[in-house]
Amino acid sequence: MSEIILGIESTAHTAGVGIIDSEGKILSNQRSMYIPEEGGIHPREAARHHSDKFPVLFEKAFEEANLSPSDISLVSYARGPGLGPCLRTGATAARAFAYTHDIPLIGVNHCVAHLEIGLLEGATDPVLLYLSGANTQVIAYASEKYRVFGETIDIGIGNGLDKFAREAGMGFPGGPKIEKLAEGPELLDLPYSVKGMDMAFSGLMTAAKSKLDSGHPIETVTYSLQENAFAMSCEVAERALAHTGKTELVLGGGVACNERLREMATIMAEERGVKCFIPSKDLCVDNGVMIGWLGYQMVSAGYSITEEDNKVHQKYRTDMVEVTWR
Amino acid sequence: MEMIFRGAEAVVEIIEWQDSSAISKVRNKRSYRHPDLEKRLVTERLRSESRVIERLLSEGILVPALYEVNIEKSQIIMEFIDGITLEKGLRTDKFHEYLVSSAKILSQIHSSGVVHGDPTTSNFMISDDIYAIDFGLSTFNDDAESRASDLRVFLESLEAHHSEISGREIFLEAYSEWESSKEVLEALEVLELRGRYNLMRG
Repeated sequence: MSEIILGIESTAHTAGVGIIDSEGKILSNQRSMYIPEEGGIHPREAARHHSDKFPVLFEKAFEEANLSPSDISLVSYARGPGLGPCLRTGATAARAFAYTHDIPLIGVNHCVAHLEIGLLEGATDPVLLYLSGANTQVIAYASEKYRVFGETIDIGIGNGLDKFAREAGMGFPGGPKIEKLAEGPELLDLPYSVKGMDMAFSGLMTAAKSKLDSGHPIETVTYSLQENAFAMSCEVAERALAHTGKTELVLGGGVACNERLREMATIMAEERGVKCFIPSKDLCVDNGVMIGWLGYQMVSAGYSITEEDNKVHQKYRTDMVEVTWR
Repeated sequence: MEMIFRGAEAVVEIIEWQDSSAISKVRNKRSYRHPDLEKRLVTERLRSESRVIERLLSEGILVPALYEVNIEKSQIIMEFIDGITLEKGLRTDKFHEYLVSSAKILSQIHSSGVVHGDPTTSNFMISDDIYAIDFGLSTFNDDAESRASDLRVFLESLEAHHSEISGREIFLEAYSEWESSKEVLEALEVLELRGRYNLMRG
């Protein structure tokens, strides 16, 4: 008989409650995103949003899945990395639910969850190009750990796009607004910063803003910004594929919803002769389903939960996770 | 035409060039990139690679001679060093001598204001002498941390492929004979303590 897992996500803007069964069937994927009135994310306000929304999200998830709490056999939540107040809100919700209904609780790594949800799409041992607000990493499995082969050395790609959008008066979240405005084929000369397998975005964002200030049309600036930022990301992913010899690519993170990025990654994979797996958009963004799925993978492979797993960890890096379940 | 290597960066082949063997390195085309961006990057990277090689040659450092640069074909043609890689050489009983020579050539590269970028044991060739090859990721740079990161790339590849020999000390001792090595070796210590990752980043 298949088991039912509840997954809880709250590392940053998104409060998510997902229900998935042990066969990988998604029964519900409820999300609510905190949108700041102005400026960037305020961790405590985001946490307040999450604690307001969690009861409704739980209710909707069980309603959609047509299940009751007693059907759940495992509760999994994202321990980190993320913003402290947001993480604690999710952990509290997870703990309260698990203790009330006497269900085992496991805390998992958010970044690894983005990769493992790609396995649900059919990948077996991929390189993950993980592009979100705070995280910009190229991750793959090598000798008992998920290792970071390349990453940003300054700001996350999504935060960079948000910052540009905010300064250009577009509001939050910036990525989708930039995508909508972007129109080629004219390309402006902007910084392209790849060093080995690392990349940097802040110079690119600043240069894009000054192009805008000097009178270039917003359509051309946003187009050029996307072309550079995504080509950099794909190049680093390509290098990681060559370096590790792996033959599968998975996309993850909110920025992976962008159609141009998806197109570039698909072309790159084709040219290299590797398979490209792109999860649906509601599984690319932060969500509870991937958290539940990873928790189940770990527990079903015999991972024993320790006291440590019950604590949130703001700087829980991908390569700190001992991968015992693969 | 003999294929040597098809990597993420380029296809490297042995070709006939003016009646003798030469190396052709053609950078891969990326059609996922905007054509203007692709052209700009290929030009920038070819120029940078050939400038680095020219600088090293002019300093008398043992690197392959540059024969031809063709921006349209994104191709560099250079001298073919007929020999074995250092990776293979380190499996012979002359490994001590080879480690000393490779440390010496890396310190010469640094001394001429260049950071190699990828000095693994596969990027040194042994023929009559030891040559450094592949300057595709090289930059003009003289800060201690970038130089130290070169040392770490070398030591990491040494560890990965040659755990049976204690090459680290031999290599670092030979490198330390360079008069400006002190600062670099200190930077290496900091770099190794910090690991690849800095926990301050999320």
